[in-house]
Amino acid sequence: MSVPVSQMFTVASYVIRQKLAGRKRYPLVLMLEPLFRCNLACAGCGKIQYPAQILKKHLTVEQCLKAVDECGAPIVSIPGGEPLMYPDIDKLVVELVKRKKYVYLCTNAILLEEKLDLFTPSPYLTFSVHMDGLREDHDEAVCRDGVFDDAVQGIKAALRRGFRVTTNTTLFDGASPLRMRQFFDEMMTLGVEGMMLSPGYSYSKAPDQEHFLRQTRTNQLFSEMLSGNKKRWKFNQSPLFLRFLMGKKDFECTPWGNPTFNMFGWQRPCYLLQEGYAASFKELMETTRWENYGKKSGNEKCRDCMVHCGYEATAVDYTFSSLKGFAETVAVTLTGKL
Amino acid sequence: MTLEGWVPQINEYLSLGEVVEFAFDYRGNTTVVKRDGTEVVGYVFNRNADAPEPFIQLFDEQGDGPFTIPYRDIATIRFTGKDTAAGNSWKAWVERKEKEKALRGAASGADRLGRDPGPHGG
Repeated sequence: MSVPVSQMFTVASYVIRQKLAGRKRYPLVLMLEPLFRCNLACAGCGKIQYPAQILKKHLTVEQCLKAVDECGAPIVSIPGGEPLMYPDIDKLVVELVKRKKYVYLCTNAILLEEKLDLFTPSPYLTFSVHMDGLREDHDEAVCRDGVFDDAVQGIKAALRRGFRVTTNTTLFDGASPLRMRQFFDEMMTLGVEGMMLSPGYSYSKAPDQEHFLRQTRTNQLFSEMLSGNKKRWKFNQSPLFLRFLMGKKDFECTPWGNPTFNMFGWQRPCYLLQEGYAASFKELMETTRWENYGKKSGNEKCRDCMVHCGYEATAVDYTFSSLKGFAETVAVTLTGKL
Repeated sequence: MTLEGWVPQINEYLSLGEVVEFAFDYRGNTTVVKRDGTEVVGYVFNRNADAPEPFIQLFDEQGDGPFTIPYRDIATIRFTGKDTAAGNSWKAWVERKEKEKALRGAASGADRLGRDPGPHGG
C-alpha cells in the first residue's frame, strides 16, 4: 500500500481519538464539492446534470472552510464538477494545507498542466487523477477522445514538479480484468504514488444506466483483477476495502464516513444519494435517519452499492476497532498480498 | 421518461407533497405557482416535509437564493425547464463509437473488442 506513514499516523490517531471519545459516528473524509461545472460529461456520472444557473454557481472559499472546520475530518477530497475549473482553487488549497488537512484534488487532469503554477508541492496535497483504464477504455468512459493522453501529460508534469499524484478509477460492468492489470502496470510505470479503485454507483441521473456492477459481478471482477497482485502495484486506500471488493470481507456501509458539502448544503445521507440537505454538519449527523441506509436496511438504492465513499470508512474503522482488524490490516500491508 | 412539460393538477389523487417530491427529484427548473398568484422560476434543490412548517428551497433562474417557500404558500409546481438528466449526448457518443468500431473491424477483418470488451461491454 502506498499511503505515506505521516498520513497513516494522522488518520490512525484521529480514529483512535474518536473511539476514545466514544463517538459512534464520525467523519473520515469530507467530500467538498465547490462547484458542479465540468469540462467532461462522463457516461457514468450523475453529478453534473443541473440547469445553467446552478452550473455557473460555486461556493466561496469562506463557505468551503466553514464546512471543513465544522466537519473536522482529517482528509478533504475535492471532487465536483472539475475542481480545476473552480476560480479560487489555489486559495482553497493553501488554506486547507495551512490547516494540515490531507487534500485529494480529484481532477480529470485536462487542465492540470496549465494550472500547476497555482500550486506548491506539499505532503498534504495530492492530485487524484481520474483514469478509468487504458487509453481506449478511459476515453470511452469519459465520452471524449484524447482525454487519456491529456491526463497522462498532466500526471507527468505534476510528478516532474514534485507533486503527489494518485489515480482514481471507477469500474463498470464489462471492464476487462486483463486490461485493468495492464492499466495498473502502465500507471505504476508512469510513477504515480498509488491507485484508488471503486465500482461505480448507479446514479439515477447518469446517462448510462446499463453498465453498473451488481455485487456478485463486482466481487468477480475485483477478484480476477487483484488476485496475485503484483508487488509493484501500489494502492492508495485501505487494503481491507480492496479485500471487501474481492468478496473476501463482508462490511456494512458507513454513510456518514464521507459527508458531502456543496452549494445546496450538507447532503443526506451520503455522497451518492441526494435525499435532502441539512443546514449544518451537526444537523446532518443528528437528524439523518441512518438506519434507513446500508444493505441491512433493505433500501434498494443501497443493495448493490460497494462504493469507496460508503465502505472505505468501514474498513478503516474495522482496522481500529479490534486487535484482529489491526493485525489483518498490518499483515496485508506488510505482505502486499490482498 | 421525463416530467418535462408536466403541469400537475393538485387534487384528491395527487397531493402537493407528491408534486414537491417530483420537483425535488427533477433536474431542471420548475415554476412554483404560489397561492397569491405569483410565480417563481428556479431549481428546487431541497424540501422538508417533516419540519414543523414544511418547506421547499430553490435557487431562482438567475442563481440567486436560496429562497425558502412554505408548502402552505404553494398552489402547484409546473415542470417548465429542460430536464438536464434526460439528454441523449451519451447515446449519440455510443452510436458514433459503435460505427467507428464497425468500420475498423471491417478494415482489419477482426473485432478485437468482441474478444476483450471495453468498459461498456464493447
